[in-house]
Amino acid sequence: MTKYGHAFVVGLQSNLIYRWNFAVRSLFWFFHLVVVFILWGAVFAGKAGIGGFTFAQTLTYFVVVFILQFFIGAFNEDYQISEDIRNGLINQFLLKPINYFAYRLSVFAAARVVSGFFGLLALLAALPFFRGYLDLPHEGWRVALGLPAMALTAMIQFSIAYCFGLLAFWFLEIQGFVILSMAVENLLGGQIFPLDLLPPGVFNAVRFLPFFYQAYFPAAILTGRQGLDFAVQGLAIQAVWAFLLVCLAEAVWRRGLRHHTAAGG
Amino acid sequence: MRTLKGYLGIWLASARYSLVRATMFRGDLFIWALVEFFWISVNVIMVGVIYRHTATVAGWSMYEMLILVGTSMLIQRFLMAFFWSGIYEMGRNVRSGLFDFILAQPGDPLFMASTRKLELDGLINSVVAAGLVVYAASKLGLRPGPGDLALYACMVGCGVVIHYGALVIAMSLAFWITSSQGVEGSYFTLMEFSRLPKEAFKSGLLSVVFVWILPAVVVSNAPARVLLHGFQPLWAAALGAATLGWFALAVVVFRLGLRRYTSASS
Repeated sequence: MTKYGHAFVVGLQSNLIYRWNFAVRSLFWFFHLVVVFILWGAVFAGKAGIGGFTFAQTLTYFVVVFILQFFIGAFNEDYQISEDIRNGLINQFLLKPINYFAYRLSVFAAARVVSGFFGLLALLAALPFFRGYLDLPHEGWRVALGLPAMALTAMIQFSIAYCFGLLAFWFLEIQGFVILSMAVENLLGGQIFPLDLLPPGVFNAVRFLPFFYQAYFPAAILTGRQGLDFAVQGLAIQAVWAFLLVCLAEAVWRRGLRHHTAAGG
Repeated sequence: MRTLKGYLGIWLASARYSLVRATMFRGDLFIWALVEFFWISVNVIMVGVIYRHTATVAGWSMYEMLILVGTSMLIQRFLMAFFWSGIYEMGRNVRSGLFDFILAQPGDPLFMASTRKLELDGLINSVVAAGLVVYAASKLGLRPGPGDLALYACMVGCGVVIHYGALVIAMSLAFWITSSQGVEGSYFTLMEFSRLPKEAFKSGLLSVVFVWILPAVVVSNAPARVLLHGFQPLWAAALGAATLGWFALAVVVFRLGLRRYTSASS
C-alpha cells in the first residue's frame, strides 16, 4: 500500500470517530430538505412547472445536490489545513517525502466515504417521505458523464478549500474568508436555487465560473436539467477549472512556504 | 433595581471592551461585516430569482416576502451582535474547562457567558437588514403608525429572546456531549424555517411542529404581519408565549447542564 493509501485508511479511522457529527449533519440535512420542500412546494403551487421543470424535478435536483455534498463536498478541509499551519503540525510534512496536497486529498477522500455513507443513510430515512416527489431521468449518458463531472467537482471543491486553508500562512484567522466564500459558492454553485432559473445572460456568465461546477453542473447532468451538448461543453470547462485550481493550489503552497517559519524541536 | 444597574454596568464594560477590540482589528471587522452582508444578499437574490417565475408565494408578494426575510435577518443580526460569540464560545469553554473563568465572575453565569462580547459587524448589518425592511415597506406603500412600529420593535425583541433561548439550549448540549462542534448547525437549520411564510405550511403536522411548537416561523411572521396587517392578537399572544417558554426552557437546560460541569475534566 502506498503512503497515501495509508493516509486514506488512517483518515477513514479518524473520521469514523466523528461518526456522530456526520450523523447529526445528516439530520440537519433532513430538516433542510423539509425547508426546501415547503418553500418550493409553495412556489410551484398551482403551476405545472417553473423554468421548464416540474416540482418533482426541482425537488430531485435539491436532493441530488445535497447527496453530492456528502460525497464530494469539502466540509472543513480548509479549517484542518489552517490548523496544521497555525499549530506547526505542517512542519512534519516538510521533513518527509510526502506531498501535502496528495496527503490532504487522501484524507479528504476518506472523509467523503464516511460522510457519503451517512448521507445515503439520511436519504434512505427521507425516502419514504419524498419518494413520490423524486423524478430522475433514465438516459445512460447522464451517469457516464455525471461520474467524471462528480470527480472533477470533488477536485475543484478540494482545491478551493485547500487554497483557503493555505491562507493561514499569511493570516491568523481565516474563518471569515471561508464563510465569505461559502456564501458565494452556495449561491453561484446552485445550492440555494437551480442556476437555470437565473436570467439567461447571468446564467451564461456564471457557467464560466468555477463555482458553477461545485454542485449545479453534476446535479444538472444527473437530474436532466441540461442536455448532452451542454454537458460535454461543461465537462471541458470543468476540466480546465480543475487543472487551473490544482496549479493555483501548488503555487499558493510554494509562496506560503516562503512565508512560513518552523519553530521548535 | 440595584442588581439590574449592576448588570447594566457589567454589560456596558463588556461592550466598551468589544468596541475597542473591534477597532483594533479593523480588517477582521471588515471581513465579518462583509460575510454577514453577503449572506443577507444571498437571501435577497434568492427571493428575486423565485419571484422572476411567480407573482406570489403562499399568497405573499415579493416585497411582502422581503419584509419577512428582512425581519428574520434583523432578528438574527441582533442575536449575532449581542449574544452569538459568547454563547458559541461557551460550548468550547465547557469542554476545555475555561468555563471556570465565567463561573468566577461576579454575576449570573448565563448572563456572564452570553453577554461577554458585542460584535460590531452584526450591528452594522442589522442596519442593512432594517434598510431592507424599510425599502420593501416603502415599495408596498405601507405607512405604519408609531404604535405599529413600537409593536414591531417589541416583537423583534421577543424574536431575539427566542433565538437566544434556542441557541443557549443547543450550545448547552456541550455539558452532556464530548464535542459540541457543529451543534450550532442545529440552530441555523431551525432558523431556516423563519424565512418561510406561515401559509406555506400546507401539511397540518408540519404546521403544528414548525409554526406552533418550534418557534422559528412565529418569530419572523408575527412582526412582519404587524407591518403588513397591523396588530393581530393571536400572533402577538403566540409570540409572547413562545418568548416566555423558550427563555424559561433555556435557563432550565443551562442550569441542569451547569450541575454536570466539573471544571477542566468536564
